[in-house]
Amino acid sequence: MPTLITWLLALMCAALSSASWALNYDLQPRQIAENTWVVIGTTEDFSRQNGGDIVNSAFIVTSEGVIVLDSGPSRRYGEALKQKITEITDQPILKVINSHHHPDHFFGNQAFLPAPILSLEATQRLIAERGETYAENMYRLVGDWMRGTEVVVPTQTIQPGVEEIGGHRFEWFAFSGHSGERADLVLLDHTTGVLFPFDLVFYQRAATTPDTPGLEIWLQDLERLAQMEFRQMLPGHGEVVSDLTALKQTSAYLAWLHETLQGAAAEGLSSSEVMRLPIPQAFSELAQVRQEFERSVTHLYRHYEQAVFTQ
Amino acid sequence: MCKRKSWAACWSRAGLVVALAISPLVAAQTEDSVMWDYTRKMFIGDATYSFDERIRVELPSFAEDSMQVPLGVDASGLNEPIQQMIAWADYNPIQHIFTYRPQAGVLPQVSLPFKVQQSTPVRVAVQLTSGEWRVGSGYVDAAGGGCTLPSESRMQDDWVSSLGQISAGRFSRASGDRFKLQVMHPMDSGLVANIPSFYLEELQVRRPSGEVLIQMQLSPAVSENPVITFDTATGAADVTLWLRDNDGNEFERAL
Repeated sequence: MPTLITWLLALMCAALSSASWALNYDLQPRQIAENTWVVIGTTEDFSRQNGGDIVNSAFIVTSEGVIVLDSGPSRRYGEALKQKITEITDQPILKVINSHHHPDHFFGNQAFLPAPILSLEATQRLIAERGETYAENMYRLVGDWMRGTEVVVPTQTIQPGVEEIGGHRFEWFAFSGHSGERADLVLLDHTTGVLFPFDLVFYQRAATTPDTPGLEIWLQDLERLAQMEFRQMLPGHGEVVSDLTALKQTSAYLAWLHETLQGAAAEGLSSSEVMRLPIPQAFSELAQVRQEFERSVTHLYRHYEQAVFTQ
Repeated sequence: MCKRKSWAACWSRAGLVVALAISPLVAAQTEDSVMWDYTRKMFIGDATYSFDERIRVELPSFAEDSMQVPLGVDASGLNEPIQQMIAWADYNPIQHIFTYRPQAGVLPQVSLPFKVQQSTPVRVAVQLTSGEWRVGSGYVDAAGGGCTLPSESRMQDDWVSSLGQISAGRFSRASGDRFKLQVMHPMDSGLVANIPSFYLEELQVRRPSGEVLIQMQLSPAVSENPVITFDTATGAADVTLWLRDNDGNEFERAL
């Protein structure tokens, strides 16, 4: 029978272990296809508890070296990811890809230097322009997890098209719906059939809209993605799927958002009234949906209001 | 639910419990921020007042854009005619947001965006026709900086060409007419180096007879190019919107 002392010791151990856990990312790479590993983040918002581990990253071990797909929210995350990669393969890091310019996808770049860091041209420009502001914001949101993190602007640009690397036939695409004009990278690995739409697709988590050039553009991108032949898909946030479930969920949410903002503008609702509109049951289980809906009103409603104004 | 990554989920759950536990504290801060006595005296002097939850002060839980925070105020729950409502943010460097004086036939509700410098309680003091003051409160969490960042207009060269342009819409509502308007104006706070304050300070909605239906004073804490809504209890035919900024520019159009 446990004595009081045993209980106290157990409690202290628990306290100590959770304290030391506090600043260690518990990354668990999972192999989903030949040479292809994914690291699934939580579907939460940035916090001092999760250190920004809210994003999916992945890596592909080719015979020429490892291709890292997104480096995470902080230097510490990048280091943890690199550590996991070295536990799995002896191959060196060949290159790091930044799918787009949002802070949860590129702040781990530092850990992989001097490996080349690649992104679309628009992404390179956006990280150069906004990186410092994002860094300040990230320090505020997740605190000490960011210690030592600095902006590393992608060193090379990536051109859309087919590219053979180390036994894999990759196809890169430039989309626009989530991050702006030709600022969303998509990768289709024809060799394994894994599609990486990055943040064009969110699964079981509400989509974020700060840089969308328009929900209709995003919806068109999703229609194009749906035509692609793939066996598995890794959304930017949320679990791996082997069908169109995640894509259709993102599409349905964005279509609802578009119609809701359009309808609200036609009725003359104010922003604060729109923010309080009910979320339909179909989306009420999406992580962060109320917060993201409020944010989206701030990002987008003005454009819908403009459309019904008379000059 | 406590599997793997679930540590994080558990932690955030713990966070939720803490948040629920401290929410009365947040409420208390809303009503008793260290600035409350100071700002209250600034706006309503030593008049007696009471807090009244029927005055709804609607704000997002977090200010996604600290230069454009939507504020909705509705005092119609009081069911009494009012003289004026004064809105301010306790922790803003420019506390005053607006003063609204709806005349008979205009509902005591208004919405507009404003800037926040940091997380702050927002107050709306409503003066009834009896002279009595009732106060509603809200709170907005923010990363901040909204009052000391240059307006987007200042980042472009062509804002002068759109200065004072008014877009407007009119919508039939169950309660009467909703007016929504947007005025192009940089609304410079004067707190950004080398950019003097330049903002719309007075707004009126007038009938053809010249009778003033709505009178509103705006402060430079109101966001640039603000979208403002107000509501009339009955259809208000032929009204004109008139605005003046602190440089004396006047802008006018039929609504």
